[in-house]
Amino acid sequence: MELKEIKCESCGHINPPGTQLCQSCGKMIDSDYDQNKIKDLMRYDGSAVRSKTRSKSIFDRIWIFFTSVKVGVSIILAITVAAAIGTIFPQEYYIPIGVDPGEHYQENYGTLGYLYYSMGFHNLYSSWWFLVLNGLLALSIIAASIDRGIPLFKSLSRQHVKKHGSFFRRQRLFLNTERPADTSSLIDAFSRKRYKVRQDGDSYLLEKGRLSRYGPYINHMGLILLLFGSMLRFFPGMYVDEILYLKEGETEEIPTTQGQYYVKNERFVIDTYDKEDGEVFQQALSEGSDLVSNFQTDIVFYKNNSTDIAGSSPDLEEIDEYSIRVNHPFSFGSYELYQSSYDNSQLKAMTFRVEDSSGNTIGDNFTINLDNPESQFAVSEDISVNMRAYSPDFLEVADNGTLVSATPVPTNPAFVFEVINGQESELSLLQIMNSTDITANNEYNIRFVGAEEHVASVLTVKKDYTIPFIATGFVIFLIGLSVGSYINHRRIWIRADGDLMFAAHTNKNYFGMKREINEVLESNGFEAVNDKLDEEDNDKNKE
Amino acid sequence: MASQLVSISSTLLYAAFILYLIAMLPLAASIKSKSDKLVKIAITMVITGFVLQLTYFILRWIAQGHAPVSNMYEFITMFAIMIIGGYLITYFYFRTKLFGLFALPVSMLLMAYGSMFSREVEPLIPALQSNWLAIHVITVTLAYGILSMSAVAGLIYLLKAVPADEKSWRARFLEAIMAGIVTVLVFIATTVLMQNVIGYQDDFLYQDKQGQNQIAEYHLPSLINFEGAVPVEHMGENNYEEANHFHSGIELPPLIDSQKLNTVLWSFLLGLMVYGIIRLILRKRIIAVLKPWSNRADLNLMDEIGYRSVIIGFPIFALGGIFFASIWAQIAWSRFWGWDPKETWAFITFMFYTIFLHLRLNRGYEGEKSAWLAIIGFLLILFNLIAINLLVAGLHSYA
Repeated sequence: MELKEIKCESCGHINPPGTQLCQSCGKMIDSDYDQNKIKDLMRYDGSAVRSKTRSKSIFDRIWIFFTSVKVGVSIILAITVAAAIGTIFPQEYYIPIGVDPGEHYQENYGTLGYLYYSMGFHNLYSSWWFLVLNGLLALSIIAASIDRGIPLFKSLSRQHVKKHGSFFRRQRLFLNTERPADTSSLIDAFSRKRYKVRQDGDSYLLEKGRLSRYGPYINHMGLILLLFGSMLRFFPGMYVDEILYLKEGETEEIPTTQGQYYVKNERFVIDTYDKEDGEVFQQALSEGSDLVSNFQTDIVFYKNNSTDIAGSSPDLEEIDEYSIRVNHPFSFGSYELYQSSYDNSQLKAMTFRVEDSSGNTIGDNFTINLDNPESQFAVSEDISVNMRAYSPDFLEVADNGTLVSATPVPTNPAFVFEVINGQESELSLLQIMNSTDITANNEYNIRFVGAEEHVASVLTVKKDYTIPFIATGFVIFLIGLSVGSYINHRRIWIRADGDLMFAAHTNKNYFGMKREINEVLESNGFEAVNDKLDEEDNDKNKE
Repeated sequence: MASQLVSISSTLLYAAFILYLIAMLPLAASIKSKSDKLVKIAITMVITGFVLQLTYFILRWIAQGHAPVSNMYEFITMFAIMIIGGYLITYFYFRTKLFGLFALPVSMLLMAYGSMFSREVEPLIPALQSNWLAIHVITVTLAYGILSMSAVAGLIYLLKAVPADEKSWRARFLEAIMAGIVTVLVFIATTVLMQNVIGYQDDFLYQDKQGQNQIAEYHLPSLINFEGAVPVEHMGENNYEEANHFHSGIELPPLIDSQKLNTVLWSFLLGLMVYGIIRLILRKRIIAVLKPWSNRADLNLMDEIGYRSVIIGFPIFALGGIFFASIWAQIAWSRFWGWDPKETWAFITFMFYTIFLHLRLNRGYEGEKSAWLAIIGFLLILFNLIAINLLVAGLHSYA
C-alpha cells in the first residue's frame, strides 16, 4: 500500500500520510486508530507520527521498536530491577581490598553470594550489560523524541483557528449555547487570563503555556547529554581518580600531574567533640566512644619549576597553603584533593629501656627510628646497646642467624640487641610481645616501653572533565521536567457562527482549567462547561 | 538553655500529634454534615499543629546548631511534617474533606514510628557538616510529602473501587496493606509498652562481623539471637556479668542483625495475632469497614490528585534527591554518584516514577492502575527511608 497524502473531506487541507486529525480543521480523518493505545488523540495533536504510519522496511521496524513506549518502559524497568538487585550484597568496591572476590562472596553470603558473583552483580554498574541497557535507553529516548517531537512541533506551530464541529464535540470540555450579541467581552476576559488570542472570522483560538508541550523533549535532550557525559568517562584523560598516601611531614608528587605539582602534609589532625561543644550534646557525648568532629590535613601546595629537565631534582615553589577537611576539598586547575581517610597502622619509632636481673631500670630509655634505624645507643656511662639485627616484619630466624622479614613495612618489628657493659656483652632477640635470650644467663633485659606511629593522611586526587556535561545535562533535564510539569498548555476554541460552540483542551490539570474557564464563563453570564468525564461517570452510575 | 529548647520543641511535637488526633473527630463528622463549620474547625486544628511542628523544627535547629534532619528520628519526623504540608496544599487546592481522614493517620503513624528511634540531639560527624545537609534533606522530604499524597489518593480510590468482599488479588492486596498498618501499630505499641512502661531489657554479649565484642539490648524476649550470644547483666560502667535470660536458642551469623530481626519477628507475630482478633470481632475485612467512608470519594478527583501530586512531587524529588544529592556527594565524598545503596534506591525511586508517568501519559494507566502504582511508589519511599538505613550498611546508615 502506497502511503498517500490525505485531503480533508471537510476543508480540503492536504495532510501528510498517517495524520489522524486534519491539521487545519481538526476533523477526524482516521477513525481507525487504536483507542487502547492512544487514549487522547490530542496528545500529539492528531499529527502523523512516523512510527504509527510506516512499518514496511527493516528501518521502519527498528524505528518502531525503539520509539515504542512499551520498549522504553521495559528498558527503564530492566535497569531499575538490575539496580535493585545490585544492592542485595555489597558491590565489589566495598569489599576488603586484595581478597579474592569469588571466595569472599561465597564465604560471606553462601551459595547465593557465589551466584551473585558469577552473574556479575558484584560489579553491576560498570558491567557491559548494564552499559548496553543504558545505551538502548539512550537510543529509545532519541528515537521517541524525534518520532513524536517533530510532528507535534510542526502541528502546534501551524495551528489553524477554524475547527470542524466534530472537533469541538470531541473535546473533554465542551459547551454549545446560544450566541450572545457580543463575544468580545468573553474573549477579553480570557485574554486578561493571559491567553493569546487568534481570530479567523467568527472563530477564535485562545492559547497559553504551549511551552509545556515541549517539556518532555527538553528533558529528554538533557538526559541524552547526561548519558553522553557518563560515557565520556571511558576515554583516557577525561577522568582521574587516584589515592595519595601522605605521611606527616612528607612531600609527594601529585599523581598524573607529570611531576608538575607537589603537596606536603604538614600535619594531620583528628578532632573530637568535647563537653565544651555545648551542653545539648552532653548526653550523646557521655556515652562511650569519642565522636569525631573533624578530619583535617594541613597541606603546602608546590609547583615544580624544573619539570623540563628530565631526571633533575624537583625545584619546588610554594604556591598555597590549605587545610583540607571533609566537605572542604582543595582545588587547583581542574584537580581537587579530598580528605579521604587516614592510616596510623604503620610504626614510626619504638622506645626501649634496659633492666637488670633484679628489675631495676638502668640509665635512659632509647628510641629506634624504624624508617632509618641507628645501631648504637649509649644508655648510661658504662652501658651501651648495639642493635645487631632488625627485621621490620619478623618472620623467622634464618640459619645464619640473620632475621628474615616478611615485608619491608614495620608492622611486626623484631630486633637482636647486644648489651655491652665494658668488655662483656650479651645478646637477646626482642619481638614486640616476646623476648628470648640468645646468650645464656643474661644479666640485662631490654623491655619495650612504647611505640610511636606514623600518621598518614589518605587524600583522593580527582579530576573529572565529564562533570560539566553531566551537570548541564541534568540541569536541562530539570528545566524540561519543570516546564512540562508546572506549566499547563491550555487551549480554547470558540466558534460564533450560528450557535456559540466552545471547547477546551489542556495537556493536564483539567480540574484547574475547568475552574478557570467556569469562572470566566459564569461572570459573563454563560453556563458552566460540560465535562465528558463526569458525564461518563454519571452514565455508569445510572447503569 | 539549649537543652530547654530541645525539650520545649519535643513538647510542641507531642502537642501537634494530639491536635491531629483530636482533629480527626470534627473532620470525620464534617463528611456527613452540610455546613462548613466542622471542617473549618478541623483544618484550623491541623494548621495549628503544623505551625507547632514548624516551631519544633526551628527551635531544635537553634538548639543543636544544625538542621534537625541528621538522624532517623529527625528525618522521619520531617517526612511526617511534610505529609501534613502536602495535605494542607491538597486541601486548599481541591477542597476535599475526605482526604484528611486518610492523610492525617499516615502522618501520625510516621510520627509515632519516628519517635521509636533515639531522640537525643547529636553533634554532626564531619561528612554531614555542610549546608547541603539542610538543603538536600528538606527538598527530599518535601518531595516525599507531596508524592505521598498520590498514595493517599490511590488508597482512597482503591478502597472505593475494589469491592471489599471480592475474592480477588486486588482485594487481598488492599487488605494486606491494612494488615501491614495494623502490624506497624502493634510494633509501636509493644515497643512503647516493653521499653518505656515495663522497662524490659535483656543484654546479650556477642561478637560482630569484625570479631569485636558487642552488647545487644533486647527489649523483647529473644526468639532469635546472635551466634554464640551470652546472656549478661549490666553491672554499671563497662562491666557485665553472666546472667540468665530467656532465649529460644535460635542463632544467626553476625551478618544479620538478630536483635532487629527479633523485633521484626515479634511485630509480625503480634501484628498478625491482633489482625486476626480484629477480623474475628469484625467478621469482615478491614477494607469493608473503611468502605462507607471511601464511598463518598469522587473517583475522578482522587485520580486527578494522584496524578497531580506525582507531577508536582517528582521534579522536586529529582532536584533534591538526585541533583542536590550529587552536588553534595561530589563535595563530601569526591564523587557525585557512587551507587551506594541509598543512592541506588533514590535512583530506583526516580526510575519508578518515570515509569509511572510514561505508563500514565502514553499507555493510559489511569484510575485503578495508576492508584496501585502510586501506592507502590510510597512503599518504595518507605523502603528507601527505613529499610535501607537500617538493614544495609552504607554511607547513609546514620541511625
